Amino acid sequence: MRSAAFRGEGNFAALLVAPSLIVLVVTTTFPLIYLFWSSFQNINLAMPFLDGFAGLDNYRRMMADGNFWHSIGLTAIYTISTVVLQVVIGLGLALLVMRIPAGQWLFRIVAILPIVLAPVVVGLFFRTLMFAPEFGILDFVVRWAGFGPVNWLGSPTPALVSVIIIHTWQWTPFAFLVLLASLAALPPDVYEAARIDRANALQRFWHITLPLIRPALVIVIIMRAMIALSAFAAIFAATGGGPGTATEILNLYAYRTSFVTLDFGYGSALAVALLVITLIVSGMLFYMRTARTT
Amino acid sequence: MARNPHQAARLRRGIVLYAVVGLLLFVWAFPIFWAVVVSLKSETEVLAYPPNIIFEPTVRNYRDALVGGFSILPSFATSFIISGLTTVLTIMLAVPCAYAFARLRLRGKKALGFYTLVTQMVPPVGLVIPYFLILNRVGWLDTYQGMVVVYLTFSLPFAIWLMVSYMEDIPCEMEEAAFLDKANRFQALWHVVLPQVRGGIAVTVIFVFLNAWNEFLFAVQLGGNDVRPVTVAMYNFVSVEQTLWAKLSAAALIAMLPMIIIGFAAQRQIVKGLTVGAVKGGGRR
Repeated sequence: MRSAAFRGEGNFAALLVAPSLIVLVVTTTFPLIYLFWSSFQNINLAMPFLDGFAGLDNYRRMMADGNFWHSIGLTAIYTISTVVLQVVIGLGLALLVMRIPAGQWLFRIVAILPIVLAPVVVGLFFRTLMFAPEFGILDFVVRWAGFGPVNWLGSPTPALVSVIIIHTWQWTPFAFLVLLASLAALPPDVYEAARIDRANALQRFWHITLPLIRPALVIVIIMRAMIALSAFAAIFAATGGGPGTATEILNLYAYRTSFVTLDFGYGSALAVALLVITLIVSGMLFYMRTARTT
Repeated sequence: MARNPHQAARLRRGIVLYAVVGLLLFVWAFPIFWAVVVSLKSETEVLAYPPNIIFEPTVRNYRDALVGGFSILPSFATSFIISGLTTVLTIMLAVPCAYAFARLRLRGKKALGFYTLVTQMVPPVGLVIPYFLILNRVGWLDTYQGMVVVYLTFSLPFAIWLMVSYMEDIPCEMEEAAFLDKANRFQALWHVVLPQVRGGIAVTVIFVFLNAWNEFLFAVQLGGNDVRPVTVAMYNFVSVEQTLWAKLSAAALIAMLPMIIIGFAAQRQIVKGLTVGAVKGGGRR
């Protein structure tokens, strides 16, 4: 009797799950298998007569490719700096806003705007209205403050700084809103107890607040790291990966190799590399999440 | 009187607090504020140096963006069709699946849930390359059906997991009561569970629609002349017309208007959606 009911439940569950899983297998897993396959092929739309099985050639080429290692380095810089900036500024701002008795709504409203804008639009706004030489407002302010004209998007280091600023501007509100919500959900009595124990503000933050919001903090770090690793539209719109390859993170390098150089075989291998890196990083971060701090 | 120095210190701290917080507020609000200002200027006014704060506002850019030669309306309609279709399909698929994941016994459920989670982590560039080759072969490049299929890749896993967290929050008792009334499982899902997760479905709809509307990489590579969403139209505008910033600002603000409205109207729901996984923390993911 009971097992019959269970079987009924299992069948019903399978019926509900099947359509989604079939769609997922067809739309994501199948293309990924195709990606792996094409990473072992020569597929060059510019030179189709060379197409054919390439074995490990694309991967061997990758190991010897200076541009690949350069893009890996940029990916690391971009991901780590944007995640750290988002979390530090977002948490700092959330802690400050928590202490404001009135006007929190204003921050929530302002914070929602960057999040709902398309990254490509944000990239275009910053490229023109903010960073453009002379007429961009940031360039104007920097010159007015006496730091001379900076070719924001036209020279390598400022361009990298610029795309990091753009990403940080757009996504810090995400960290801010999530952390503000988790701070607001903390029970006030632990603070009372700590205050009676004469803990100062820093001690209270370090020993009480931080451990309590650690789960939320780790989730934010995981989500932001995943997004930063495959950031595309804002960089593409602001610099296109340039000047030269100064802002060409691995994601853009794989894209350009495929769709500009039309070398789909090598582009696939680069995309596989990004996929592997993404899975390793997320695995590490998830491990961090479950590991206990003592 | 004795408390005066204490009060002064507190006042000073308060002023510093508001100054810092106000500055950050300004930094985050300014780019959007400035885009609005520029969109109301004439093109010659935009290129005035130093930039003018006081000027005669004009709505010409908005008129041009709507009915001019570069009208954004066709792209607007395209985005609406793609995002709408993606949202409807995603919800129809994700809600039953999430119910099973959250509430029903199913062999291999954990593995299937993990699989769903991992598909969500696939970097888009790893999909746009094979999709270009596949859709090219099938003849689905620059078609609505091609775009919607591709958009399911990121909207479906996301929607399933968001809905799972809402499904987990509703109490079991009402379903059990329904079973006692001889309702079958499907009736219980339709009449008892669904009404309770309406809020969660609303949040999921908002996120799926928003992500589809703002998507760029797939759109620029797998779309084309027939299917050109607003994000691609904006990008092309700048590539062709380097200097028409006022028109760009106006067009971009119109393109983003649905998202801005959603942001204001559903601000509470969006924050809830963003935090649903984070605040619950522990979770079983």
